[in-house]
Amino acid sequence: MITKISGGSAPRPPAPIAQDTRPSVTFIPADAAGVARIVIDRPGDPVNAIDVRLMEDFAAAIAAARNARPRGLVVSSGKEGQFVAGADLSLLRGTSQSDIEKASRSMQRVLNDLAALPFVTVAAINGPALGGGLEIALACDTRIAADAPNVRVGLTETRLGLIPAAGGTQRLPRLIGLPRALDMILTARQLAPKRALRAGVIDEVVHPAVLLRAAIDHATRDTKRKPKGGATVVERAATHFAPARAIALRQARSRTFAETKGRYPAQLAAIDAVAIGLAKGIDAGLDAEARAFGELAIGETGRSLTALVMLTLRQRKAAFEGLGKPRAIANVGVVGLGFMGSGIAQAAAASGLRVRARDRDAAAVATGLSSIRALTTDATKKGVFERREAARIVGRVTGGPDLSGFHNADLVIEAVFEEMATKRRVIAELEQVLRPEAVIATNTSALPIAEIAREARSPERIVGMHFFSPVHKMPLIEVVRPAAADADAVATAVAAAIALGKTPIVVSDGPGFYTTRVLSTMIGEAFTMLAEGDSIEAIDRAMTAFGWPVGPLQLVDEVGLEVAGHAGETVAKARGMTAPTIVQQLVAEGFKGKHKGGGFYRYDGGRRTPNPRVRELLGAPTHPAAGDIAERLTVTFINEAARCLDEGVLRSPGEGDLGAVLGLGFPPFLGGPFRYADAQRQRVVTTLERLAASRGDRLLPTESLRSRRPFFSL
Amino acid sequence: MPRVLILGGARTPFVRAGTDFAELDVLDLARAATAEALARTELDPGQVDEVIFGNVARPVAYHNLAREVVLSLSMPTRIPAFTVGLACASACVAITSAADHIAGGNADVVVAGGSESLTNVPLTLTPRLARALIAASQAKSLPAKAQSLAHVRASDIAPVAPGIRETSTGLTMGESAERMAAINAISREDQDAWALRSHRMAAAGWDDGRLAAEVAPVYVDGHAITADNHIRRDSTLEKLATLRPVFDREHGTITAGNASPLTDGAAAVVLASEARAQALGLEPLAAVRSYAYAAVDPADQLLIAPAYAIPIALRRAGITLDDIDVFEMHEAFAAQVLSTLVVLERNGVGRVPVEKLNVMGGSIALGHPFGATGARIVLTLAREMKRRGARYGLATACAAGGNGAAIILERAA
Repeated sequence: MITKISGGSAPRPPAPIAQDTRPSVTFIPADAAGVARIVIDRPGDPVNAIDVRLMEDFAAAIAAARNARPRGLVVSSGKEGQFVAGADLSLLRGTSQSDIEKASRSMQRVLNDLAALPFVTVAAINGPALGGGLEIALACDTRIAADAPNVRVGLTETRLGLIPAAGGTQRLPRLIGLPRALDMILTARQLAPKRALRAGVIDEVVHPAVLLRAAIDHATRDTKRKPKGGATVVERAATHFAPARAIALRQARSRTFAETKGRYPAQLAAIDAVAIGLAKGIDAGLDAEARAFGELAIGETGRSLTALVMLTLRQRKAAFEGLGKPRAIANVGVVGLGFMGSGIAQAAAASGLRVRARDRDAAAVATGLSSIRALTTDATKKGVFERREAARIVGRVTGGPDLSGFHNADLVIEAVFEEMATKRRVIAELEQVLRPEAVIATNTSALPIAEIAREARSPERIVGMHFFSPVHKMPLIEVVRPAAADADAVATAVAAAIALGKTPIVVSDGPGFYTTRVLSTMIGEAFTMLAEGDSIEAIDRAMTAFGWPVGPLQLVDEVGLEVAGHAGETVAKARGMTAPTIVQQLVAEGFKGKHKGGGFYRYDGGRRTPNPRVRELLGAPTHPAAGDIAERLTVTFINEAARCLDEGVLRSPGEGDLGAVLGLGFPPFLGGPFRYADAQRQRVVTTLERLAASRGDRLLPTESLRSRRPFFSL
Repeated sequence: MPRVLILGGARTPFVRAGTDFAELDVLDLARAATAEALARTELDPGQVDEVIFGNVARPVAYHNLAREVVLSLSMPTRIPAFTVGLACASACVAITSAADHIAGGNADVVVAGGSESLTNVPLTLTPRLARALIAASQAKSLPAKAQSLAHVRASDIAPVAPGIRETSTGLTMGESAERMAAINAISREDQDAWALRSHRMAAAGWDDGRLAAEVAPVYVDGHAITADNHIRRDSTLEKLATLRPVFDREHGTITAGNASPLTDGAAAVVLASEARAQALGLEPLAAVRSYAYAAVDPADQLLIAPAYAIPIALRRAGITLDDIDVFEMHEAFAAQVLSTLVVLERNGVGRVPVEKLNVMGGSIALGHPFGATGARIVLTLAREMKRRGARYGLATACAAGGNGAAIILERAA
C-alpha cells in the first residue's frame, strides 16, 4: 500500500492584484429568534483557507458576539458548498518555529474564546470541514452538517506531517472518546456526514436546504453541555479513567510505531498531545499541541509532506501550463474491461461521467461490468459512496462487445493488452467510429505513444494516459504527450485525469516515459546487485526499511516478470545498455510472477520465501550485506529522474516528485527524488561518483545533479 | 406535420420467468434496453426530449418506471418521463404517444419502450389486511394498534397476486381464448401447427442473425445473457399434441405449447422527427404512418380488437391490407392469432398472407413480457422492413380488457 497524499488544506489562490479589504469573517447581530451569526467568507479564496487575516477577523467577530449577548450563535460559511478546508499552507513557508508556534497559540486562543461564549454555539457545516475547519466546529457546542457529497469532516494534519494545532487533539477526544479520536487523527480520515454522525463528531445531518434553519433551531433550543468523551462506557473509560487510558495509549503508540517505522513523527506527537491534555488538563494539552506543531512544521518530514501536498494542490492548475484548451467531457469510452479497464471505467463513472465500454465478447464484458460493480460495492462498504450513489455509479456504465455507442464519446481510453499490434488495431477501429474531435488516450506503462499512433489517420488526437494499479487507489496519472499531439487533446487528457480525482503529470513520449523509466532503471540496478551477491531478502528488506512500500524484487513479482522484464529491456535499450538476463531466465523456467508460478520468491501456501533457483541461475554465491543497498538504489532512482528532467521528459522537478511519490511509492517523508536531492545534494553526488568509479559509468551523476543548482528555488 | 421516424432500438433477450433474469427487476431490464437503444442509434442522451415506458405489473417501490430509467442511467435529469399502461399493448401506447408528441412538434427525440419482469410481480395484501395495517400504523397507542388488527382473519394473511381474470367477466385470459377458438372454429391441430411455425421461424430468425441483431446482451453477475431461451428447436406436432389443455381440461384446445409463456424482458425504440434525424445524420429504419386503437366487449371475443383496429389504421394511412408487405402480430395464443385472421377476412378487411406474418416467429416462441411486447414487434417490424426495403408494415397487439392496437409503418425514404 502506497501512502496516499491528499491534504485537508487549501490551494493558495493567485495573489490578488489589489488587496481585498472585505473582512474574512463577519458578525451578524441577532435575528428575531435571538440568534446571531458568524459568517466565514474569505474574499478571493474559494475554500475559506485559514490565514492570519481570517483568524484576526474571527477574533473580532467573537468579541462582537460576546458583547451582543444573543440567545444563541450560528457559525457558518458564506460560500456555497464550502465550510473551511483547513489552514492556508503558505502560512508555513519561510517562517520560524517560534512564529509557527505563535500562530498556533493565537488560533487556540480564538477558539478558546469561541468555546467560552456563555450562550449556545452551533456550527453549520455545508462543505469540507477539515483540519482547522473542523477545529472551529469542535469549539462550538453543536455541529450540524448538510447531507451532501462534498461535506467531509476530519483532522487531516498528519497527512502533512503535522498535528491539529487549534485544539483538535484536545476537543475531539473529549467529544467522541479517545479511541475514535485517535483513529481519526492518526489516519487523517475524512468522514462523510452520516459516518461523522455515527462517530459522534456531528450531532445532526440535514438536507442542505434546511441546514441554516436547523442550526438556528439548535441555537435557540439547545443548552450548554459538557461532552461525555465517548458513546460507550468503554470509550469513556479509555478517555477519562487513567489506567484504561494508559492501555489505549500504549496500544496506539506501538501500532503507530509499527506502521510508520518511526519515519513519521507527527502521529506520535499527536498521541502525546492527546495524552498530556487528558492527564493534565486542556491548557497543558494545548501547550503541548502548539509546541509539537512548531517543531513538526519546520522539521524535514513535515516540510517534505507539506511541500508534496502543496505540489499536489497546485498541480490542478499547473498541469495545464503550456497546453491547449481542454474539451468538455461527458461521455467516456473505455476499450478493454480487464483489471485496468474496469478500474478506469469505475473511476470515470464514480466521478459522474457516462461510460460506454467494450471488450472482445459478451462474456468479457460481463466479467468487466461485474468487477466494476464489485469495486463500487466494496467502496460503499467502506463508506466512500452512499448506497444510492453507488447504484447511480454502476448505472453510468454500460457495455457491449462492439463499438456501438462510441460515436458520442468525448474521450476514449483504451486499456487493452500491452502489445503494439493490438493497440494499433484498436486505434484503427476507433478511428472508424469516433467524431473527429474525440480524444483517444492509450493506457500503457511503456509503449511509446508515437509508435502506437504511427498508422493512425489522425495521430494528433492520440495521447497517453498511464494509469497505476489498482486504479481506484492510486492517485497518479502520467499523461504522455507525443510530439505530434494536439495541445488541446493533451489538455483534455489532463482535465480527464483531474475529473477522475487523480493528480496528472505531463511527460514527453519515449521509452518508459518518466515513471516506468526511473523505476525500471532502479530495478535493473537491483538485478545487478543481486548478481553481485546481495540476497533477495537483503535488497527488499533494505528498501522497505528505507521507506518504500515494497522491495523492488517483490514488486517485479507482483507486476509480473514478463511485463517488468519487457519494460526493463525497453528502457535499457534506449540508453544503449543491455538489461540483466535474470528475468528472462526465470520466465523461461516458468517463474512469471506472484500468481504465475512465483518469481524471485516462491509463494507456497501463502508464505513468501526467496526462490532458490535465482541464486543457482546467477551462479554467484551470496555475500553478506555490503554497503548501503537502499542508498545505492535510491541514488540510482534520483539520478535517472534528474536525467529525465535534463532530457526534457519531465517538465518540472515538481512533477518528478509527484510522479515518484504518488505513482511509484518513493518515500513520501523525503518529499520526492528532487526534493531529496536538494536536501542531500552533496551526499547524492558523492555517492554516485563513488559508485560510478566501482560499478560503472551508468551511475555517473547527471548534469543537473553535478551543477549543484537546487531544483526548487526557495 | 413533422414526420416521425424510428431510428433504431434494442431489446433484451426474452427469457422465461424465473430463469436467467430472475434476479433483475423491471427497472434493470428497462435500463438495459434503453442504454442499448441509445448506444446502437449513437444518440447522445443529451438529445433526448422524453422517455416513455409501458409496463403492466407495476413495481411498488416507485410509481414511474420511465423516470427511474432516466435517473438510473444518469441521463440528463431535465428529461421528463412517464409510464403508460394498456396491458399487453402498453409499449404500443408508449410508441404512439412518442409519435404524437413528435408529430405535434412537442418533442424531437423520444425513447419509447416497455419492460416486464413476470418473475418479480408485486404481490399485495388482501384489502382487509392492508386497511388494518394502515390503521395500525396511524394509531397512536399500542392498544389502539392492536385493536386495528383485531379483525384480520387467517385467510387475509395470504398475499394477492396481480389479476389474471377479467374483472368484468371473471374469465382468465386462457379461458377467453378458449372461447375465441370455439367461436371461430379454430382446431387444436391448427393451433399447434401455428405454435410450431412460431418456434421454427424464431429459430430461423436467430440462425440467420436477424433476431440476434435486435437483441443486446444483458450482463448479470458476471454472466452475459445473449439469447431468448424459450424457443424450442426440437418441437414437433406430435410432441405438441401430447400436451394437456390447461384452461379447459375437458373440451379445451389451449395448451402450454400453443400459448405464450410468462416472460421477463424489455425493449426500447428511439423515435425522432425527420428534421432532427437529418441534423444528427442518423439513418432511420422506418417512419410511423398511422395507428389506431379499438376495443370490444370483453364478454365477446376478448382478444379480437386488433381485427377492428387494423381497418381504422389502414383507413388513416389511406391504404389497404393488400398494401402491407410485412405483418407483426402479437401471439398471446395461437387461437387468438388465427381468430384475428378469420375475423379480418370475414369482415372484408382482407386476407393476411401468412408468409408475410411474424416472419421471425412471435410471442409463442419468443416469449411475452407484457409491457415490452409492443416495442418488440415494432422494432422487429421496422428492422425487417428496412432489410426487405418494404413499403408498408403493420404491427398489432391485443390486450386485456378487450383492447387492441395497430400501428402502420412505412419506408422512411
